[in-house]
Amino acid sequence: MANKLENVRNIGISAHIDSGKTTLTERILFYTKRIHAIHDVKGKDGVGATMDSMELEKERGITIASAATFCSWLDHEINIIDTPGHVDFTIEVERSLRVLDGAVLVLCSVGGVQSQSITVDHQMKRYRVPCIAFINKCDRSGADPSRVIGQLRTKLGHNAVAMQIPISLEADFQGVIDLLAMKALYFEGENGERVRIAEIPGELIAEARAKREEMIDAASMFSDELTEAILEEKTISDALIIEAVRRGTLARKLTPVFLGSAYKNKGVQPLLDAVTRYLPCPADIENTALDLEHVETPVPLLPDPAKPIVALAFKLEDGPYGQLTYVRVYQGALAKGSAIVNTRNGKKTKIGRLVRMHADQMEDIEVVSAGYIGALFGIECSSGDTFVSPGANLTMTSMFVPEPVISLAIAPKDNKSQINMSKALNRFTKEDPTFRTHVDEETSETIIEGMGELHLDIYVERMKREYSAEVETGKPRVAYRETITQRGEFNYTHKKQTGGAGQYGRVAGYLEPITDEPADFIFDNQVRGGSIPTQYIAACEKSFRLCMAKGPKMEFPVTGIRVVINDGASHQVDSSDMAFQAAARGAFREGYAKAKPVIHEPIMKVVVETPTEFQGAVMGLLNQRRGMIVGAQDEGTLSVVEAQVPLAEMFGFSTVLRSSTQGKAQFTMEFALYRQVPQSIAEKIAEEIASRKKSAA
Amino acid sequence: MLKQDLILRNPLRLLGFETEDILPAGGLGAVLAHAGVGKTALLVQLALNGMLRNRNVLHVSLNDPVNKVTLWYRELFEHLADRYETGRVNRLWESVLPHRFIMTFRVEAFSVPKLEERLHDLTEPGIFSPEIMIIDGLHCDATMQNDLAALKNLAGKKGMRVWLTVHTHRHESPGEDGLPASFSPVAGLFDLVLELRPERADVHIKLLRGAATAAGSNLLLDPSTMLIKDHS
Repeated sequence: MANKLENVRNIGISAHIDSGKTTLTERILFYTKRIHAIHDVKGKDGVGATMDSMELEKERGITIASAATFCSWLDHEINIIDTPGHVDFTIEVERSLRVLDGAVLVLCSVGGVQSQSITVDHQMKRYRVPCIAFINKCDRSGADPSRVIGQLRTKLGHNAVAMQIPISLEADFQGVIDLLAMKALYFEGENGERVRIAEIPGELIAEARAKREEMIDAASMFSDELTEAILEEKTISDALIIEAVRRGTLARKLTPVFLGSAYKNKGVQPLLDAVTRYLPCPADIENTALDLEHVETPVPLLPDPAKPIVALAFKLEDGPYGQLTYVRVYQGALAKGSAIVNTRNGKKTKIGRLVRMHADQMEDIEVVSAGYIGALFGIECSSGDTFVSPGANLTMTSMFVPEPVISLAIAPKDNKSQINMSKALNRFTKEDPTFRTHVDEETSETIIEGMGELHLDIYVERMKREYSAEVETGKPRVAYRETITQRGEFNYTHKKQTGGAGQYGRVAGYLEPITDEPADFIFDNQVRGGSIPTQYIAACEKSFRLCMAKGPKMEFPVTGIRVVINDGASHQVDSSDMAFQAAARGAFREGYAKAKPVIHEPIMKVVVETPTEFQGAVMGLLNQRRGMIVGAQDEGTLSVVEAQVPLAEMFGFSTVLRSSTQGKAQFTMEFALYRQVPQSIAEKIAEEIASRKKSAA
Repeated sequence: MLKQDLILRNPLRLLGFETEDILPAGGLGAVLAHAGVGKTALLVQLALNGMLRNRNVLHVSLNDPVNKVTLWYRELFEHLADRYETGRVNRLWESVLPHRFIMTFRVEAFSVPKLEERLHDLTEPGIFSPEIMIIDGLHCDATMQNDLAALKNLAGKKGMRVWLTVHTHRHESPGEDGLPASFSPVAGLFDLVLELRPERADVHIKLLRGAATAAGSNLLLDPSTMLIKDHS
């Protein structure tokens, strides 16, 4: 960690599924000499890419957990977080982006800007992460980088500027022309490790000049000196252009675009140069924490090792040597032996062991300074926790965590599995805030909840492989909700006089749907003149709130209700907290029945990319699943169909889609909104619940 | 009822037509204007009005991706219903959405036979049967004579009302009938032609072709919301 802070880059590699992120990372590690052999994802040698350290990831050819690793390039230290591409694991992408200073957006030169690239781009915008783009797979048939640059502009709204142009494309793809140096770059040697710099081929000179003009023109928006040099027709130095492009990139107003084919070992080294040139160092990014002692006022953090520590735990991993906690240090320095406090629970701990990760291998280090990413051993915490120096009371802003939309009942196959299962669940819930678990009170089943079928599938597999917990799974269940559609009045008296102390309480008012703000529950006390004594109001609120957990209609959680109480009655002797709680329960049931309750279901945004000839078939499939097709986009040979489909209808969709399109279509799915369930479906749900209860009894 | 209010509020009724539908079934309509004056906004309002009356609208865009077209609709709908309470507006929006289908093509890849094929994919399995079609971004000049005739034929066959945007150029002075010279050769195929003409801060909606009363000339497009407003 001898590098100066300006020579540090914390970057992420984000993209759509199968754009080649992991392959690209593998090549980066190879060229920076962190690894000495290349193993491809699903490669013939069976070793799998280095970043896909989990066994399961190697098998499925996808990256699930973001492994952090570091490498050096031209005196710069680059910390890379490899992020998963599937929407079901978006929380991982979000977490990574939170701790990154810059990102490389990988796009496929055939597929272009695909649905997942749009999601990832939204996330980058949310965390204001500057990025550069890499158009991969230029060797594939149908490769068209200029179309992808066009899509970056139209679909994502980036001011995308080509920094290179390709020397031939598809099977003839030979290398790239660097528009900055105006040289041709060829990648030679067994693994493309030797970059040969040559003159631009004659037939490409005119195009290169024109594109360089365009690039300089775009860059000049960010540098007066460059504009001046252009106007005065002075020689334009590389440094001047680099500075201007860098400024534009840091402000997220310019996206420099690079080309290559990671699989064919072309274009990776210039991309690494670009990472060091155009992406920010930790000092370029302004980070803030919230001061808990001063009503969460934002406090700017300085990447100064002498200041008090502020670090964020962004990922937990359970390894063979105990819990490994990945941290990003924003201020101060985490040193071996120093004391830190977890702001969430105030727990003070001493740092025992500090490591730097390289996929699944680690290296012991003494200190992690501000701006760096490292990992701690043996620290009990959850992901998203903030660590500070004793005395400081700061927290990093909490990360946006979406609510789970699907659940699954699981049961251990034997006694041993039961113990292991609970260990595994304990770990997974700490690692991933979108993965939750609870025990159903009625059926005594263990329920796991998450963001999609694949999300839960992976965890069930991981339980088996990493914890030897064999579990049986039930059918996935959708997270339905209940709500009301109109105002419902209540006036309920709870009266009990059966010997001993009596119970008396009357609660009157109404329930109504919340329409003007995004809240699940609002309690509005409009009781005047003490008809319900003040000391019992809290009991009423508590009871109403408890009623929201299980709706009277079908026992789904109730959302979006305003409870207004405006009258009531009490008895000097017989009224108590308990009596008013019972009265509020009765009042809720009474009002709810009058308020036309309905069931809501999660609706997913489904985007299918299919060859045009199957567009009709795909739309038919979506339509059969109660899907509402929003639109169909013609992209030449490909067609993109976007629809909103109830999650309940999406189980097993991937199999059906594959068989109807000869395996040529792919889809992504993410939660969009909750919408009312049609009456006929609501009846079916009611039947299902009744039969489930019957079998549980 | 909110839905009825919005239908009544639609100032297009003021264009002076006896029926709610300005175009006859199987008819072709055009909205002419320079770039950025509000052609798409006007057609999206026509489409929204159709959707509110439970008519199925197919929006074909040759310029914008699905997401951007969706934004146009949402934005104009929100402006239209801005005085109403959010919850009701959202519910109404959800209920009219199934009446819309967006299709996008790349300009160079668009052809009427291709459109017909896609339309067949939609109507045959009963996924969506459009009654109104909006085509945004198609060049309407003499070179497109055959395509436009085929489109008119398709509209007749399906009984659809088809609206097109026509991009006019500032350097092109209009002929006696007010139509730009490049559009004149194909104008005969259109049953109705409206023009959006910016005059100082306002955008006027002029009727260039089609039977209507004089009231049509009183309509304006509010440049801040892109909504049609009554001049009087």
